Amino acid sequence: MKKLTTLLAAYFVGIGATWAADIVVVVHSGAQAPTREQVADVYLGKSRAYTPLDQVEAAPIRAEFYRKATGRDLAQVKMVWARLVFTGKGLPPKESAGAAAVKKAVAADPKAIGYIDKADVDTSVKAALTLD
Amino acid sequence: MIRRHAWPRLTARLRRLSGRATEPVFLFPAAALLVLGLLWWSTLNLIQVERTAAESAASLSSSELAGTYEAQVVRALREIDQTLKFVKFAHELDGNLVTLHELKARGLLPPDLLFAVSLADRNGYVTVTTRPSGVKRIFDEDVFQAQITGDTFSVGRPIQGAGGEWILHFSRRLSTRDGNFAGVVLIAVDAAYFVSGYEASKLGEQGVIGILGTDGIFRARRSGDDVSAGDSTDYATIIPDGAAETPPATVSASAWDGVRRHTSARQLYDVPLAVIVGLAEDEQLASARQSRRTYLWRAGAGTVVLILIAAALGGLSRQLTQSRKRVVDEQIAHAVRVEHLAYHDSLTGLPNRSLFSKLLSESILGARRYQRRVAVLFLDLDRFKQINDTLGHDAGDQLLQEVAVRLKGCLRDSDSVARLGGDEFVVLLPQLDEEHYVATVAQKALTAICRPYVLHGQEFRITASIGISVYPQDGADEQTLTKNADIAMYQAKEGGKNNFQFYSEKLNANSLERLNLESGLRHALERGEFDVHYQPKRDISSGRVTGVEAKLQWQHPDLGTIGSSQFGAVAEDTGLIVPIGKWLLRTVCLQHLAWRKQGLPALTMAVNLSDRQFSDEQLLPDVAEILAATGMDAGFLELEIPESLLMRNVQLSLSTLGRLREIGVRIAIADFGIGYSSLSTLRQFPLDTIKIDRSCIRDVSSVAEDKALTKAIIAMGRTLSLSVVAQGVETKEQADFLLQNWCEELQGFYARLPLSAHQIVDLVRTQPVSPVLQTGWPTGSRVGRPAEVEE
Repeated sequence: MKKLTTLLAAYFVGIGATWAADIVVVVHSGAQAPTREQVADVYLGKSRAYTPLDQVEAAPIRAEFYRKATGRDLAQVKMVWARLVFTGKGLPPKESAGAAAVKKAVAADPKAIGYIDKADVDTSVKAALTLD
Repeated sequence: MIRRHAWPRLTARLRRLSGRATEPVFLFPAAALLVLGLLWWSTLNLIQVERTAAESAASLSSSELAGTYEAQVVRALREIDQTLKFVKFAHELDGNLVTLHELKARGLLPPDLLFAVSLADRNGYVTVTTRPSGVKRIFDEDVFQAQITGDTFSVGRPIQGAGGEWILHFSRRLSTRDGNFAGVVLIAVDAAYFVSGYEASKLGEQGVIGILGTDGIFRARRSGDDVSAGDSTDYATIIPDGAAETPPATVSASAWDGVRRHTSARQLYDVPLAVIVGLAEDEQLASARQSRRTYLWRAGAGTVVLILIAAALGGLSRQLTQSRKRVVDEQIAHAVRVEHLAYHDSLTGLPNRSLFSKLLSESILGARRYQRRVAVLFLDLDRFKQINDTLGHDAGDQLLQEVAVRLKGCLRDSDSVARLGGDEFVVLLPQLDEEHYVATVAQKALTAICRPYVLHGQEFRITASIGISVYPQDGADEQTLTKNADIAMYQAKEGGKNNFQFYSEKLNANSLERLNLESGLRHALERGEFDVHYQPKRDISSGRVTGVEAKLQWQHPDLGTIGSSQFGAVAEDTGLIVPIGKWLLRTVCLQHLAWRKQGLPALTMAVNLSDRQFSDEQLLPDVAEILAATGMDAGFLELEIPESLLMRNVQLSLSTLGRLREIGVRIAIADFGIGYSSLSTLRQFPLDTIKIDRSCIRDVSSVAEDKALTKAIIAMGRTLSLSVVAQGVETKEQADFLLQNWCEELQGFYARLPLSAHQIVDLVRTQPVSPVLQTGWPTGSRVGRPAEVEE
């Protein structure tokens, strides 16, 4: 009984932790860690220091990330990218489906930058920044 | 003819005008106005230039932005079309092999964020899509319908999405291998995407960019942050017909919101769309307007400053002019003062020697030209030095000032008086019309100076001596005239002071008698200036005073005692002798009676008659009246008439004498012996006495003719039983002769000046009863008639 309660508690905590989890910005293990401003610049098309990767549009982490990192909501971000694309000044970040895909892409590209749940961080990537 | 006269007059007028125009009062405002005009002209010009520039810039900018936008839109459309064609190709090749997801995974599709790619079947159902949340069936859409029959790049009308945003659909046809309609490839984009490039910094808040379909429907439009689509407008007004070239931007009010914009519109090459870029006129010109306001403010401020400066300068200039004028006036006044001091005596204010010299030279020139005379009177105050020493110099100065005033009062305006220094004055009479004006002035001056002066509370009198020289007879130049006037003045001093002397004798004599006496004589009688003195007549044997001859004297206030011999001629000529004579007669008669009252014996009173008196009609009535009035015994009145006068008109003389005799008056013929009267004539006259003229008597002791004549006269007198009186016996020798010839009855004589009434009284009273002549001559016996001597 005691084992079950602990397991259940851990499970719920785990789930809760997942929902309220910190987002971690990850980069290639050998790459330099970006600053918060650099992260914002890259994801708004102002900087080419890194190649940004988005999670899918539907994923809640995406909206949360943009909110935390740039202070803007997705519609505003879309307008920013629309302008950049229309005036031929850049392309929006590529989409990756899920944390595993993000980690895989980041590990493969030294310039890549992405964002995943803290829980998903492992050694294949470098955890550069924690956004809370 | 007219022009030739008009031109010089015109130029003269212009010159005068320009002279006036350069005066500060005109120059400053004119200059200020000019500058102001320039300022405002240039300001307005600048404003206009800026506005025009702003407008051109706006137009240019509008065009350029339109060009850029067109390129961006064309590229965007091309990319979409490229994607459509690519997907079509891939799907038509092997739709199962190459799926949308494959393409997307390989990054062959445009960014998912902005573009949704879909495939729809021939019935309009969406089979595959990169965005599952999109529409499910598109059969009714224009982009679908268009591909059923055609095969073009179709641009749809804007559709509103779930969130209210506008979406544009683009399609290409999917065909089967045999070319049948298999469906469409669709790309859906936010309409806002096409206007996402709006930069407020370039377009302002009221600029516009947009895409307008040839159907008149806006695919997308944005002003500021406002994005809109779907509304329609008249395509033709915005895009001029068939404009393939790029037209310049025009300013017009945009049809959809009425805002005036510099609008550039370009129709796209192979798509039924046109791009529009507009820059709001207000916004574009805002800076120009701001500048305008600034410029106007500056111009206004400049104007005010300029006006202030002009006013200040004007004020300063006027002050300068005024102060300069004041300085000039002062200088002039100062120069006048200095000149005055240089030419005038500081004590009296009279002209000084230098000025007098000038005046004299000028008047000489004038006299020479106009044949006039000029007189110079040198005036020296007699005994001034004494007053100066006695009373002190300030009293002396006071005296001089008063003298100056009095002298000026004697003169006309054209005359001048100057002070030469000390107590010397000089008078200049530059316009002598009559000669006797000089003497009048001289006399007036003497009289004026003679009036008393009050110095230190006491009365003082001074006199002056005047020397006169006349141009041209006494000198033809300044030096000679002044020298001669000076000489004449010394003569006057020598002559006893308080008189005037002409340099030329002739003028002296004439004037003295003619003028001087004439004027005084007129009033002498009423002023009681006449005085009667008596010359005693003696019996030569007894030496007793038997009668007197009345001698009229004039006590002239300035000239002293003037004898009748001096003023007689004047009195005669003026006719004053008549009233004077009457007065004399009366006085003499009264005197006779007075003496008798005083106990004196009755003395014969002899009075001389002059020409005029003798000729006067009223003589007899006057004499009779006087005798009656005074009560005088006619027999003691003897009227003396000169021989020459009697002989002039014998008949008249006879009748007059006769009538006089009738009254009972004695007649004496005086100044006898010098005329040419015959004895017979003489016998006619009813006479009582013969008076031998003194000229006969004077040399009677020495000159033989006189001796003879005198003897004859005496003899004649005795023959005619007349009394014979010798006039003017003065010397012992004369008396001796007379005595000798008047037989043995010669008595003594007296040589004496006419005596006053009192003196006669004394004389008569004190004469010895048995007369002994003063000379000690023994009295002789009488032989013949007693003769008388008049001394």
